[in-house]
Order: sequence, then structure tokens, then C-alpha cells
Amino acid sequence: MFIGALGCEPLQLARVNLENSTSLDVYRRNGGYEALRKALGMSPDDVIAEVKKSALRGRGGAGFPTGMKWGFVPKDSPKPKYVVCNADESEPGSFKDRYLMERDPHMLIEGMLIAAHALGSKTCYIYTRGEYRYLIEIMDRALVEARNANLVGEKILGTDFACEVHTHTGAGAYICGEETALLNSLEGLRGHPRMKPPFPAVAGLYSCPTVVNNVETLTAVPDIIKMGGEAYQKLGTEKSGGTKLWSVSGHVNRPGVYELPMGYDDMEKFIMEDCQGITKNRKLKAVIPGGSSVYIMPASDILGKDVKMDYEGLVAAGSMVGSGGFIVMDETVDIFESTKNLTEFYKHESCGWCTPCREGTDWLVKVFKRIAKGEGQPEDAQLLLDLCDNIEGKSFCPLGDAAAWPIQSAIKKFPEDFKRHLAPMVEAREAIAAD
Amino acid sequence: MSSESIKVTINGSDYQVEKGARLIDVCRSNGHAVPSFCYYSDLALQASCRTCLVRIEKMPKLQTSCTITCTDGMIVTTESDEIEKARRGMVEFLLANHPLDCPVCDRGGECELQEMVFDWGGLEERFRERKNYAPEKYLSPVVANDPQRCILCKRCTRVCDEWMGEDAIEAGGRGVNTVIGTYGGWLNCSQCGNCIEVCPTGTLLDGTYRHQARPWELEQTITTCTFCSDGCQMSLGSRGGEVMRAVARDRYVNGINGEFLCIKGRFAHPFVNHEERLRTPMIRYRKGGKLIPATWDQALEFAANKLRETADAHGAEAIGVVGSPRITNEANYALLKFANEVVGTSNYTATDRFSLAPFFESLGAGLATHRDIRFAKTIVLVGGEPEELQPLTGKQIRQAVRNGGAKLIVINSRAIRLQQQAAQFIHIRPGAEDAAVLALADERFDELAAKKLGVDASELSTARGTVLDTEGNCIIMFGGELSPAAQSLLAQIPHAASTDKRRFLFHPLPLYNNSVGAHDIGLMGGAHTASSLLGAAGAEIRALYVAGSFLPDHLRGQEEALSKLDLLIVQELFETETTRYADVVLPAASFAETDGTFTNNDGLVQRVRASIPPAHQSKPDWMITAALAQTLGMDFNFQMSASTVFRELAERTTAYNGMRYPLLKDETKPVQAKHAIAPRRDLADEIEALRLSIESLDETAEKIMGTPPVGHELFKPGELTGKVPQFHLLAAGNPKPPDVLISPLYQITIDAGLRRTDEAVAVAGD
Ligand SMILES: Cc1cc2nc3c(=O)[nH]c(=O)nc-3n(C[C@H](O)[C@H](O)[C@H](O)COP(=O)(O)O)c2cc1C
Ligand code: SF4
Ligand code: SF4
Ligand code: FES
Repeated sequence: MFIGALGCEPLQLARVNLENSTSLDVYRRNGGYEALRKALGMSPDDVIAEVKKSALRGRGGAGFPTGMKWGFVPKDSPKPKYVVCNADESEPGSFKDRYLMERDPHMLIEGMLIAAHALGSKTCYIYTRGEYRYLIEIMDRALVEARNANLVGEKILGTDFACEVHTHTGAGAYICGEETALLNSLEGLRGHPRMKPPFPAVAGLYSCPTVVNNVETLTAVPDIIKMGGEAYQKLGTEKSGGTKLWSVSGHVNRPGVYELPMGYDDMEKFIMEDCQGITKNRKLKAVIPGGSSVYIMPASDILGKDVKMDYEGLVAAGSMVGSGGFIVMDETVDIFESTKNLTEFYKHESCGWCTPCREGTDWLVKVFKRIAKGEGQPEDAQLLLDLCDNIEGKSFCPLGDAAAWPIQSAIKKFPEDFKRHLAPMVEAREAIAAD
Repeated sequence: MSSESIKVTINGSDYQVEKGARLIDVCRSNGHAVPSFCYYSDLALQASCRTCLVRIEKMPKLQTSCTITCTDGMIVTTESDEIEKARRGMVEFLLANHPLDCPVCDRGGECELQEMVFDWGGLEERFRERKNYAPEKYLSPVVANDPQRCILCKRCTRVCDEWMGEDAIEAGGRGVNTVIGTYGGWLNCSQCGNCIEVCPTGTLLDGTYRHQARPWELEQTITTCTFCSDGCQMSLGSRGGEVMRAVARDRYVNGINGEFLCIKGRFAHPFVNHEERLRTPMIRYRKGGKLIPATWDQALEFAANKLRETADAHGAEAIGVVGSPRITNEANYALLKFANEVVGTSNYTATDRFSLAPFFESLGAGLATHRDIRFAKTIVLVGGEPEELQPLTGKQIRQAVRNGGAKLIVINSRAIRLQQQAAQFIHIRPGAEDAAVLALADERFDELAAKKLGVDASELSTARGTVLDTEGNCIIMFGGELSPAAQSLLAQIPHAASTDKRRFLFHPLPLYNNSVGAHDIGLMGGAHTASSLLGAAGAEIRALYVAGSFLPDHLRGQEEALSKLDLLIVQELFETETTRYADVVLPAASFAETDGTFTNNDGLVQRVRASIPPAHQSKPDWMITAALAQTLGMDFNFQMSASTVFRELAERTTAYNGMRYPLLKDETKPVQAKHAIAPRRDLADEIEALRLSIESLDETAEKIMGTPPVGHELFKPGELTGKVPQFHLLAAGNPKPPDVLISPLYQITIDAGLRRTDEAVAVAGD
């Protein structure tokens, strides 16, 4: 397993391979908390301005410009403001946040403190998925160290800035990674999404202005402050600044967490050279580049197509960056089976709030299972597409879309894999007709 | 509030609508149908059913019209192939795991899901998989549940939380396994059944009406509930002379309560067809003897002769006439007319627990309607416990605070549940309510009152401050704890404290469905109260003519009083403590069998309508009184019409002048009595009297701790199940076959903790 940067100096991954990388001592010796000191010398508005200049886009999946999101927080609101770190990382294929917290917890704390300073917040929460309990222990140890070193709590670094950081675990639901469901869960309510608007920036945790950011988004902040927004942006492209972590899994010889500059050129090189090619010398069949919720890409859309690895590049190639969970599949993979597996995941994780996702994912799974048993009807592929169409764009939150997209793209790009499973019934019908 | 108007274009037509209007409402009110399930006005938005999708120009996806606030220039399409496909898709999803068992579902015929499918027609079922299964069950003796039919619109959970503040029903599980359920498998709540009412499908059903009738077999009669002073409008469903159920579904009735009813209104109707109803008139020919069935002519003749004898021997004033806060205005009016014109006695009253006469005499502002309560800015509640005794008022207060941001001040000797919504709760010593009123009215008494109330003086000034900071309506409510002097003082507060920006309204909290009417008619203005009449029984009072019965409260300590009378005539539904001593018993018709009016605590005069013919030989109370008058030689000229009675009483009751039945026909437009506003009065005497009585209050009395449990008054056996008028059956157990619950109250109170007992389960689940 590889953890490191390619095509740029490591920023996010600068310390992960150091010995004792979780300790405050190592973090500080490697430039840690310098950004916080610098930020505390700047006005909150200037901090936000730097983040805007950096063209940092949220790394949780939606890619929303972070500086703009911070700008939405009403400054004159008399209510307390909150910074919440989304460390739920439940999307199949994504495991970058886990390594950031496991190996460099202080970077996250520093990022959150800078955000808190910029937004006028005195309280931060780190919300992790229930399965990441061991990460909470690492974070809590780091927080104790930070508090002892006067980096968390009152009068931080001798200034008037005061801020507390708390950790909190979810109870095992993918939907609690969706920011409003996360806030419900944090408040002790049922984990289902809230209606937007109001957006969390206006009315989030306890109806107070709240910024929810992904781990990787927040850990990018110290470097932005250190090097300046413009320099950070220049590492990437005009609209997608900086570097991005890709969680690479599947049939490659060297899986791992790769830090690449935004706009990395190109995906084929990345798979075949950087990740050292497909296992057992097999052929590449497909890639899901951005975590389970994005369109699947067939090899033909990648090989020789010069796909740039950033937001615009992947959209142009027919998929999305999403959370950067880069799943590589070789020629032995049955895309019908892999799609069925994903659909079962979405059915299991549908929160049940809205009709199309709740009922639709259940129905989809039932159809998949029937086809898998050899009882698929020729019109089932059309039925699957139609059900997806009735879910997509009509659900309460994006989970419904996320369930539909993989199926739509799989049937479109890999029709043979579906036809093969539908064949028994087609043949049976033909036999009857011939009789 | 801005009433700025903006332009919205729907399907090519332009409309001017109020800024801030909700798109789905605008579409509908302009004739563009939009389906919905989860949208329910005045409940928190849910946006989960996704059936109300429309297309709005410049927006990327179809939008849920229930969540969209109209903006100027918005261009909307509600009908297109795309929209129809989406909506059909949603209904298809909702039906995927639905058992499609309409033919055996109690909701069949009045089901919103069924209607939606009928509306579209031609829905071909593409779902060929095995349906998810969940067993039918009972959530309580009165709430039956078939989870498979659920569409998870969560109207039920929202009414339970937002209306009732009880949070007894909630979704559990996740995804397609989400199921509406309870905490601990049993509904631990007041059993109001509002979850049943708002459920658009056959998921939550009336457990007492289960498989009893199909809705289209029922005759629906819009009437007024007979159980408390809120006066909810309901529709009684009857078949073949039997009341089968009571509902407030908006397809049948749209009154002040919307679809709200409480346990009593919804489930306590089986007394109407109860087998213990009196069947014929009865005469006790000699004291201590038995009641012998008689014909109406015999009974009236017997009663008339005895009345004549009493008048001849002791004078007209020896005869007392007693009405009831539970019977119609027409019935009470007939009794008053009887007292005045036939007998000529000033000894008349009604069997209420307390009189509102001092309040109405000093009335400094009008009465609030329940709608006013919902939109009030400040609510002051002195004493009382509306969430138990006037449940609709309780719900309105809760919504005023939770959905409307009203400030609630609760002054009570117990931490009643509504206190959870209160901006300020002043926890006083029991019996000290008068002191709080004195301080509210006059700051000079803060110190004295605080000492006696056991609170800090600043609490009183804070409350006064909140009232005086109000911009908008400030509603003052009070229970039966106040003395007459305190009632007067409270009633006069508006004269000192209203301004251009602040309007006061009153909401008295009497206990019975026609307490206010009995006062308005003038029945409470006689020379006696119910208790003092009993006290005089056998002395200056020799005969009583009673409609309904004395309350246990009145009889307490005077159990012998009735036996001392020469003559007792009682009109009743059931045998009671009062009929035990009666010489003549006349069977009366229940509220479900009579036409008339009740006046609620808003002062709304609302119609009561006969849903079934009077049981057995019973007659409406006013008819009995008129017949007795006729026997005594006086023709009331009511022409067998409640409408005529009302016309006469409206002419003779100032607050009701101008009212006629045709004016009261529409429950959606209730008519309020015009209670006279009393001028500003000098209250020095009242204040002095109050001060003296407050001085004598005990400063060391213990406060009552703890919040009274849900249902402690609603289900109180002493009140509801004692042999008091119209509630007897509730103590009578379960006279129907064991699988049908005659009285949920009985079933529930039998097990005081509201918890399931094995016995109850057997009854409920079989
Ligand atoms: C179903 C669903 C699951 C999500 N899960 C995660 C998650 O595990 N981690 C995360 O950071 N964002 C997740 N998101 C995205 C968040 O809603 C939100 O956009 C993000 O936390 C914002 O942070 P960012 O701006 O830093 O990306 C999820 C969104 C959806 C709809
Ligand atoms: S799409 Fe609907 S059911 Fe699915 S997770 Fe989101 S809110 Fe829940
Ligand atoms: S039980 Fe009825 S009201 Fe409740 S969620 Fe289900 S369908 Fe809606
Ligand atoms: S009515 Fe709008 S989503 Fe249900």
C-alpha cells in the first residue's frame, strides 16, 4: 500500500510517513501550528479571502467552493457558530480521511481552529462514523496534547481566541455523512437529512450558523494559510486549486492513498504507471473514479483519452471526482454483479425518509436478485432504467441519485454484462416461441 | 405583516398572490390540482412523499411544491408528461409493498391513497416481487395498526408531537424497513386518536370501529362534541340507529378543531347506544318504593299533579329547577322558561362546578376564538389544565408557542405539561391563584402575593412585563380556581393595559360543553347554586325538577339531601345517584339524538344535530319540559322545532340577538355570541376583599411537585366514569362482546399506568 504524493510536493501527506507522526512534537517540528499562529494574526475576513483565493473545493463529494461556503455564515448573527468536521467517510471506495486522522490528527485540529477563527466559532465538533472509534482515540489523545500546549481551550497561543474541539461518533449510517443528517445525529435525533434551505451556514447545528467540512477540506487549510491562497491554487487548476487525495483500491498492483495535484495528467498514466498497472497482467475493464456514487467509466473512456484528474476533467469524461474513491476493476469483474452489490448498499443505507429512494432501492435490489437467480425478464433492463429515472432528481437528498447513477451508467456502458444475465429467460421465451 | 402581492404564472395563467404564499396552496386555490400526502397545513414540512412535484422555470430539477415559497415572476407548470411520469412513479413506489387489500380495509372508501389511484386509473402493476410483510397489531385498545399500508408520510408522528406534545409514536428502523411504531410496543399517551384521523391510508385505524362498517354505509352528521367546553366539531357516523364512530376528517367536517379530537370526542360515544339507557318514563309511587315503568302521559300527569300540590302547599318558591351545563341551550332555555313562566320561582340554577358570572359581569375584553389562540403573541394561563380538561385549547396553545413563537406564561400550583412550552412558569402554592391575579392586576401587591405564592416578587413583575411588552394579541385564560372577586379583577385588566398595539382577549376554561351557554341563557343567575339548593332541600325547597344529575362534587357531604324532598323529577339518560331518589324519571335523548346548540369557551354558538332517532322512548330535554308545561296548562308554542326554541331564546338573550339556525348552519363559519363589554369599574372593594383573604393564606404550605401524567384528568374515573350525567357507561364496563371495546376510557384506566396488561392485550388483539 502506497501513501504519498505524485507530481507535487506532499502537502496533506507531508508527515504521514514520519515516525511518531501523530505526536504534537513531530507535528510542530514539521511546521505544525505555524499556520494557526499566522491566521490568528490575520482578521477573519482575510483568512476567508485567502481560502477563496485558493480555489479550494470541498473534498466531501459535492466539490462546493469552501471559501464561498464560509462566506455564507452571517457575521452579525447573535447566535453561537459551529464548525463541524465531517469525518463520516462511509462511501464505498473512500478511505483517505481515515489516514489523515490516523497519522496526522494535529493537521485536522489546526485546520478546524483556523476555520473557527475565520468564522467566529468557539466550538468545533469532529463527527466520525461509528466504525472509526479507534480514530476517535487518536484524535482525543491529540486534543489532550493540544490543550496542554495551549492550542485548544482559552487564550490560544496567548491571544484572545478561545475554542473547544469535541469528538463524536455516529451509530453506523451512511446517510449521517450527508451534512444535515449528520447535524441531526449530532443533536441526538434520527439520522435523516433536513430540508434545505435553510442551509447549515445559516441554520445548522441547534439552528445556529454552522459550517460542515470534510476532513480533507479542513486539513488543506493550514497549507493555504502558510503558502497563501494564490500559491495553493496554482498547484492545481484555475477552478480546482491545490492537491487532492485519491483512495485507490481494486485490481491495481499498488493501491493506496495518492496525493495528486488537481488536473493531474492523465488517468491512464496514473493507473498503468503510478499504480503499477492491473494485477495479474489482466486488462482494465472499468473505473469508478469518485467513490461509489458516481458514474462508472469503461476502459474505453480512459485508455488513450487523456482524462485529466480534476472536477472539470472527470465531468468531461463522463464521471465525477466525488470523494475521490478510485475503484479499479479488471476484466474478470461482472459489472452486473458489482452494480448489484452497490445497489444493495444503497438499499441498506437509504434512510427511509422519502418515497423514491426508500421504495425504489428496495425494488431495484429485488429485481437484481431475481435476475441473478436466472429469472430476469428481457424487459428488466428497461425496468431498472425506468425505476432509476423515477428516483433520480426526485429524492429528498442526493443519496437517491447516488443509487441511480451507477445503475444507469452500468447498463449504458456494459450492456453485455446485463444481457448475459437476462439470457436464460430470453432463450426460454425463444424456445417456447419456436415450439 | 406584509401583504405585498407578487405575480406567479401557473400553466400559462398569471395570478397575483400574497408574498410568502406556499406554492402548493396557490396552485390549488387557483384550480390547478397538485397531489400530496405528507403536506399537512400547520404541521412542520416533511417533503418526503415527493408526489407534489412541479416544474419551475430556471430550476434544474422538478420541485416539491409543498416546500416552495412563491417569488415574484415564478413560472410554474403543474401538468406535463414529465410531471405525470414522476407522480405516477411515486404512487407506483408507494404501492410496491402495499398489500392492495382495499376490500378488507376500514379506510376503503375514504382513503387518500386509494383516491389518488382511482384518480389516475390504469395503473398497471409492474412490481412482481414478493412484498415485504409486517403483521397487523394494536398499538393500544383504540389504535389498530396495519404497517404494510403505511406510506411514511409521518403525519401521525407530527400530530403526536406538534399537536399533542406527547411524542408517543415515531418511526423506527431504516430504509424500506422503516416502520411507524411506539416506544416499548404500546402507545403510552392520551389515546386521542389524532394519528388515526390524519393518516391518509389504512395504516392507523380506530380500534373500536375495526371491521364494523364501511364508510359509505354510514350516515354522516355534523355536530358538536358533548364532552368539554372547547366545542369541537365532529361527524357522527351512524347506521341503522346506531352511532358507529366519531371523526373529524376534513372530508366530512371542517370546524374550529380541524381534524383534531381528543379521546373523549373520538371514542367515548358508545354511551349513546348503551344498553343501560333509560327506556321508558318511570314513576316511584311511594317513597322508598321501586321505579315502575309508565307511559309518558302517566309520568307527566304524575309530575304535574305533584308540582301543583307542592306549589299549593308551600308556594312557588319551594320548587327548584335545575338545568345542566351539558345539555343544549334549547333545553336550558325551556327549563328557565318553565321556572319563570310556569312555576314562577327564582330558585333555578345549573349543575356546573363553578360560575363564570363574576367574570362576564366585569368582562373588559372579548372572548378569544381558538384561532386567536393559535396566533396569539402572549398567553397567560392562570390555574386550569387545558391539555387535560380542554384538549383543543391545549393543542392551540402548544402550536401558538411551537409553530407561532408565542410567549406562554403558566401560573399553576402544579408543573402541568404545558409548562414545557412556557416562556415562564410560576410555580405557586396550591390554592393561591387569587394572589397571582391580584399581583398581575396591581403591582402594589407583589410582595404580599409573592410571599403567599412562595415565589420571588421578580417573577411576578417579569410576567407583568411580558404582558406589557406584547405587540398583538394577549390572551388571558383561567381555570376554576379563581374566587369571584379574582375573576372580576382579572376580567378588568384590559381596561388598564390595552393599547393600540396590544389587544386583550379572554379564554375562560369552564369544564363542560355548555357551561358558557348555561350562563348566557341566565340559568346561573338564579337565587341558588346547585350546592345551596341541595342544602335547602327539605327546608324551604320541597321539590326539584332536574335535567341531568347533580355532580359527585355537589352531593359530597349532602348525600341525604335528595331523600328529604317531597318531589324529585329527573330527566336523564341513565340511572344515576340523583335518579335513585327520583319520584319521576323521564328518559332524555342524548346529544346524538337531538337538535340544538352548545356555546363553547370561545362564545361560539354551534349546532348540535340529531344523528339517530332518540333511543327507546326518550325525548329531547326541551321537548320534555314543554310537554310538562303543557300538562300544567301552558303552551310554550315551540311547534316541535328546536329552531323555534332557539329563535325565542336568541330574542331574549342579548348576546344571541339576531342569531337563527340558518345563520349557524355552516361549521366552517362559526358565529360568536356578542358578550357585552363591561365599562371600567372601581374595584376597590374586590381588591380589599381579595387582600384580606390572601392575607389569611398559609405561607408554609408545601408546593406540589412533579408533572401530572398524561390523561390523569382525561381518564379520571371519579369525573368521567362516575354515574354523572352522560358518562355512566364508562363505569359500566364492557357490555358488548369481549372483543369490542365499549369504552376505551374504561380499558385504559383499569390499568392506571396506561401500560399493557395481558388481559388488555387479549381484548385488544383478538
Ligand atoms: C448520502 C451522502 C453521504 C455523504 N457522506 C459524506 C461523508 O461521508 N463525508 C463527507 O465529508 N461528506 C459526505 N457527504 C457530503 C456532505 O453532505 C457535505 O457536502 C460535505 O460534508 C461538505 O463538506 P465539503 O464542502 O468540505 O466537501 C455526503 C453526502 C451525501 C448526500
Ligand atoms: S434520498 Fe430520501 S430516503 Fe434516501 S437517504 Fe435521502 S432522504 Fe433518505
Ligand atoms: S401511519 Fe399513516 S399517517 Fe403515519 S406515516 Fe404511515 S401513512 Fe402516514
Ligand atoms: S406533499 Fe410535497 S413532498 Fe409530500
